[in-house]
Amino acid sequence: MLNIPSLERRWLKYKIKSYFPYILFSLLTVILIIVTTIFIHLEKSNKQTSPILVKQKAKDIILQPKDISPEIILEPSMQFIETMTSTVSQSTTPSVSIPVFPPKKVVIVQKIAPISPPAKISTNVITPPSLITPAIKSTTQPSSIKRDTATFDIHEIEDRFKNNSNPHLGLYIARYHYDHGNYNEAYNYALKTNSINNTIEESWLIFAKAMVKLGKIDQAKKTLQLYISQSNSDAARNLLDSFEKDVPK
Amino acid sequence: MEHSLFSKPKELFIDVVNPRDYIQIDSVSHMYQNLKASVQKPLKMILLYGRPGTGKSMLLHKLHHDLSKHQKVFMIDIPIIDENDFLRVLAQKIYGYVNREAITLTTFLELASAVNYPQTPIVLLDEAQLYSTALMEKIRLISDARALKFVITLHKTDDEDIIAKEHFQTRIWESIELQNASPEELKIYIQKKLLKSNCFDVANMINDKNIKIISRLTKGNYRDANKLMFSLFSLYAWFEEHHPSKINYNSLKPKYIEMAAIHTGLIHA
Ligand SMILES: Nc1ncnc2c1ncn2[C@@H]1O[C@H](COP(=O)(O)OP(=O)(O)OP(=O)(O)O)[C@@H](O)[C@H]1O
Ligand SMILES: [Mg+2]
Repeated sequence: MLNIPSLERRWLKYKIKSYFPYILFSLLTVILIIVTTIFIHLEKSNKQTSPILVKQKAKDIILQPKDISPEIILEPSMQFIETMTSTVSQSTTPSVSIPVFPPKKVVIVQKIAPISPPAKISTNVITPPSLITPAIKSTTQPSSIKRDTATFDIHEIEDRFKNNSNPHLGLYIARYHYDHGNYNEAYNYALKTNSINNTIEESWLIFAKAMVKLGKIDQAKKTLQLYISQSNSDAARNLLDSFEKDVPK
Repeated sequence: MEHSLFSKPKELFIDVVNPRDYIQIDSVSHMYQNLKASVQKPLKMILLYGRPGTGKSMLLHKLHHDLSKHQKVFMIDIPIIDENDFLRVLAQKIYGYVNREAITLTTFLELASAVNYPQTPIVLLDEAQLYSTALMEKIRLISDARALKFVITLHKTDDEDIIAKEHFQTRIWESIELQNASPEELKIYIQKKLLKSNCFDVANMINDKNIKIISRLTKGNYRDANKLMFSLFSLYAWFEEHHPSKINYNSLKPKYIEMAAIHTGLIHA
């Protein structure tokens, strides 16, 4: 008269039913906690990036008096940082459309962003030119960007650059080509970038290094000397020193 | 099954009313003493009311059992709805007057005054909500004439409040309300029932947490508790036969209590 197996099934169903509101509630709570922590984290990392941008502007202003010749305005700049951070905080370059990365990776970039720029700012310390490239590569940020680029077509970015002439995109493409051994392309894009904005240090460095790779060592030296005279860039001076010794790898 | 530890406890909770199974529970005993005292008072009729399964019939049977040692008591546990039959049966059982024909109220009262009892005979009517208004009126007249003393039980449901009916509203009624058991009372009820029949092992299995669950599921209703305990021990008997290893003899498993509650319909699953 007692059907125990069916009774046990009904009991299980009853248990699940009676615990369902609690399960749902705790699930919602967990989701809420996760969402809020992510949100707080995002807010924090956004706030951390902004002081750097302020600093960078301050430096721009300090460097202003060094504009001597109106034809060639060469100026050291920390804007390459902006290139990196602009992929994160769109607020810095509102007019620019930024390559869309998968959100998960954006989070990684953001986490790293506050660490890497100060490392670059402190390049006032004399760093051997051969270390410049590794320094950029070793900071996880560019490499993470590179990992992203693998997933999309560089031509797409080139098309975008053609349309909006954003120097950051130009620098990005130049760097991409240099890293991929396309020195001609690297030269062209660095040149284009410099013509749009001649204050981007990294662009000048890539421009010079690409020239060396293309065999135009003298021209590269001349360009660097000119840039150094206008910008007082340590990185450029180090690179020039390394050219004097031998050819960068 | 005969030797099962749980077959005897199971039978203890079959829902029957037998005064020998009466369990003393403080609040009920108190009520019972009041009831016994009221019965000896002249004139008043006594009304026992409460929700189904609160022990009204049990108390009435207990009263019948205890009073019948000393005085004339007659109990009608299955209502006699027909008015003529009602008077005829009473005349026969109390005054020994055997008649095939219907008797009138006047004849009945004449009979009553003819037969002399040292104490007014007592008539116990269970399930009085089933009697018609006309018959209740006759009962009241018999009581007024001091021919018989009546104790009746009424069960109160949510759908219909019988106590509110006119014929129970008169001042001659002394009413006693029975209620569901509190968790403590339910514990005493279950434990005493088991111990009375020497089911010590099973009684020891029931802890306060078990009682809490049983009390919550039955809301302290004796009948529901009986049904639940009956199917719970049936379930234990089944496990004892088929999966003895699943039984923990230290306490009742909440899962099994809930399964029994599903089986008896206390949980809708
Ligand atoms: N004091 C008690 N001792 C032992 N058993 C009790 C006691 N009170 C109630 N019970 C048990 O509870 C069950 C229900 O009680 P009972 O039949 O008296 O309820 P009731 O109030 O008459 O219900 P209804 O209104 O449906 O007639 C019975 O099986 C009875 O054995
Ligand atoms: Mg009853």
